Amino acid sequence: MYIIGNLSIYLALILSVYAFASLFLGIKKQDQRLIDSGRGATLAIFILASISMLLMFILLGTSQFQFEYVYQYTSSDLPLLYKLSALWAGNAGSLLLWTFFLTMYAAMVGYSKKMVRNPMTPYIIAIMTLNTIFFYLILAFVTKPFMLLDGVPPEGRGLNPMLQDPGMILHPVAIYLGYVGLVVPFAFAIASLILKNMDSFWVKMTRRWTIIAWVFLTLGNVIGGYWAYTELGWGGYWAWDPVENASFMPWLTVTAYLHSVMIQERKNMLKIWNLSLIILSYALTLFGTFLVRSGVLTSVHAFGESNLGAYFLIFMAFMVILAMYVLMSRYHLIKKDTGQFESFLSKESSFLINNLILLGGTFAVFWGTVFPLVSEAVRGTKVTVGIPFFNTVMSPILLALLFIMAVCPLIAWQRSSMKNIRDNFLIPAIISLVIAGLLVFMGIRDAYPVIAWSIIAFMVLTHITEFIRGTSARRKVTKEPVPVAFYNLIIRSRRRYGGYIVHLGIAIMAVGIVGANFDLERLETMEIGDSVEIGGYTVTYENLAQRSEGVNDIVYANMRVERDGRDLGIMQPERMFYLNWEEPSTNVAVRSTLRDDLYIVLSAWEEDQRATFQFKVNPLVKWVWIGTYVLVIGAVFAVWKGRYGNVTPRYAGPQRKVY
Amino acid sequence: MTKNTKVILGGCAVFLSIMILLITATPASSGSEISILEAKINESQYEGRYITTEGFLVNGSVDWEPDTIELRFTLEDEDGNELDVYHHGVRPDNFSDDVIVIVHGFLNDGILEAEKVQTRCPSAYEGEDPDNYDPDFHRELLRDDKEDGS
Repeated sequence: MYIIGNLSIYLALILSVYAFASLFLGIKKQDQRLIDSGRGATLAIFILASISMLLMFILLGTSQFQFEYVYQYTSSDLPLLYKLSALWAGNAGSLLLWTFFLTMYAAMVGYSKKMVRNPMTPYIIAIMTLNTIFFYLILAFVTKPFMLLDGVPPEGRGLNPMLQDPGMILHPVAIYLGYVGLVVPFAFAIASLILKNMDSFWVKMTRRWTIIAWVFLTLGNVIGGYWAYTELGWGGYWAWDPVENASFMPWLTVTAYLHSVMIQERKNMLKIWNLSLIILSYALTLFGTFLVRSGVLTSVHAFGESNLGAYFLIFMAFMVILAMYVLMSRYHLIKKDTGQFESFLSKESSFLINNLILLGGTFAVFWGTVFPLVSEAVRGTKVTVGIPFFNTVMSPILLALLFIMAVCPLIAWQRSSMKNIRDNFLIPAIISLVIAGLLVFMGIRDAYPVIAWSIIAFMVLTHITEFIRGTSARRKVTKEPVPVAFYNLIIRSRRRYGGYIVHLGIAIMAVGIVGANFDLERLETMEIGDSVEIGGYTVTYENLAQRSEGVNDIVYANMRVERDGRDLGIMQPERMFYLNWEEPSTNVAVRSTLRDDLYIVLSAWEEDQRATFQFKVNPLVKWVWIGTYVLVIGAVFAVWKGRYGNVTPRYAGPQRKVY
Repeated sequence: MTKNTKVILGGCAVFLSIMILLITATPASSGSEISILEAKINESQYEGRYITTEGFLVNGSVDWEPDTIELRFTLEDEDGNELDVYHHGVRPDNFSDDVIVIVHGFLNDGILEAEKVQTRCPSAYEGEDPDNYDPDFHRELLRDDKEDGS
């Protein structure tokens, strides 16, 4: 096993170097045989990566503790699912997973039917192979997954209990799929630059890839937040931790990219901007990895200290310099056929503003994340900017974005008149003002939530208007009944209406995010029989008890919950004590409704059964999770292959002898 | 003025306002990471400012009042400089003798009123628990070990 494992790594490294060299030479000499050989090598690398993965799963699943990785991250009493998911608990394994996805994507692009006989393909797989080489260098020399220990330990160290959670099975996989997914549009962009193909072919070809990567990034972030909410017990889902920021920044830039490429497709504008955005997004995925793996910033995620981060930084610098060089050397060509803005009040300019705000947000997050490093370098003291900084800066940015989202879909391409704006916005604007009034009437006096919810309402209404107008316009022509017309409308322009559904998902999430302004918190030490009132709930502490679950012990409290005199049952906040882990972990009790979450943490207890609890009422949190579902549905709808408008873009760039 | 310039100007305005937002928000919500010694010497300088510091928990200094949910304890550094801490909240996990404690809060009359108390454990599991891992500390620990050995 040891030999096969290491062989699969080293062989893949050699093959990836070979693949790159062969593609490079093939392009240079215009020799099809070399190109085909390189392409074949990418497939072989993918097979080798699959073997490494399979082997690692077998080792983990069968608890082969003589392997260092298995020993470090599992123990024999773990459920099989967590034994397997320990593959991405440590550095070596998670990089193996990343490499596996990367080689899979490279093989998928190399053998894509749409890219057959396309001269871009060798360039694209060569660029992706550069990434593969880097990852295999790391796997072969820095963090080796298949290391043997001197003896066979009877038992492993076990998996950190915080990672024994369904969220932690999915979160890393989703994040990596998002990160790796961005390599594809990056490689397409650079390949088309090298080939001096200045049209939007690469944008059209990678639209699906990018949206899917974006969805995984979104999912990764939200699942991570959900995990923090239920597992860490501090009462929230987002703390602006450096590592959260690391995966949030590429999300922001990709969101900007997905919008600005629409302008390029339609108007042939913003080409350099889009190229820069995709290079930036790609670079941010590597930068994020650098932050997480280097330990330069204190964070909940910090992997064990290693110089791994430095390698990522070097690789990032290399790729960015390469990309910038290619971009600069083609600058005059791109500039030559770029379109012009035709009106200040147009979809193009509103997209541009959306982009600027998203990028400004990215910069704000970046600034807050690296500020301790910068201040330490400049002034010698680590100055940290806390959660308040991010909240002050990002709240107006969120509001501005929501407003742009409300306005943008209704502004026509090229030029909008005042009349057209009045027709589209009057009714939604009036209704949202009424909603603002109602909110104030209901007793909400803070400016921010009232403004935010009104803007969200405005945005939802303009989107609904858009659906209604489309349907009725269709009915005028076809005379179909409403549901049929509606169905035919959205099925025929998936991109547009899928996008709108994503917007609605964001709106639902935003409702929940703004709800965080109204959270209530109480910290109470209670005797048995005591009751606490919080946010309309009455919680009674009934008793403290203990039970065993496998080899672990759980101390829990029975809390009876009532609301408006109605009995809502028992909630059980727990503390779990592990045989194989020194620290206990918190299992939060959450009762979730659309209106609010009641969140109880058992913090401490005394010998006389007095216990200290943390109670929180978090309004509207569930909306964040629901919004995410809607967003995913919208995005999947937008990229789903349908009968309509599903044309493969035609390659019209320069031809080469090899493909 | 061409349409392009107009749009670019509008864009600049957006970006500029975000920058202003950034710069104004930074000082108000920043804090400093300082040592116990610094907190002692420059007490007046840090008075009322949000600081982060860390030290070893002094044996037997923990005073926990469950009914009022008040926690008082003392931290010391390697040279024996001490800092009293008050925290309205519960004991964090692993709050036992000789553990390393990180506190975030405001310095008031020589007492640190901590908003957040975290522990870091110098046990055999170092580097394993992502929550409590601090590279600098372990580097020092390693260095100390080597010095002890020589």
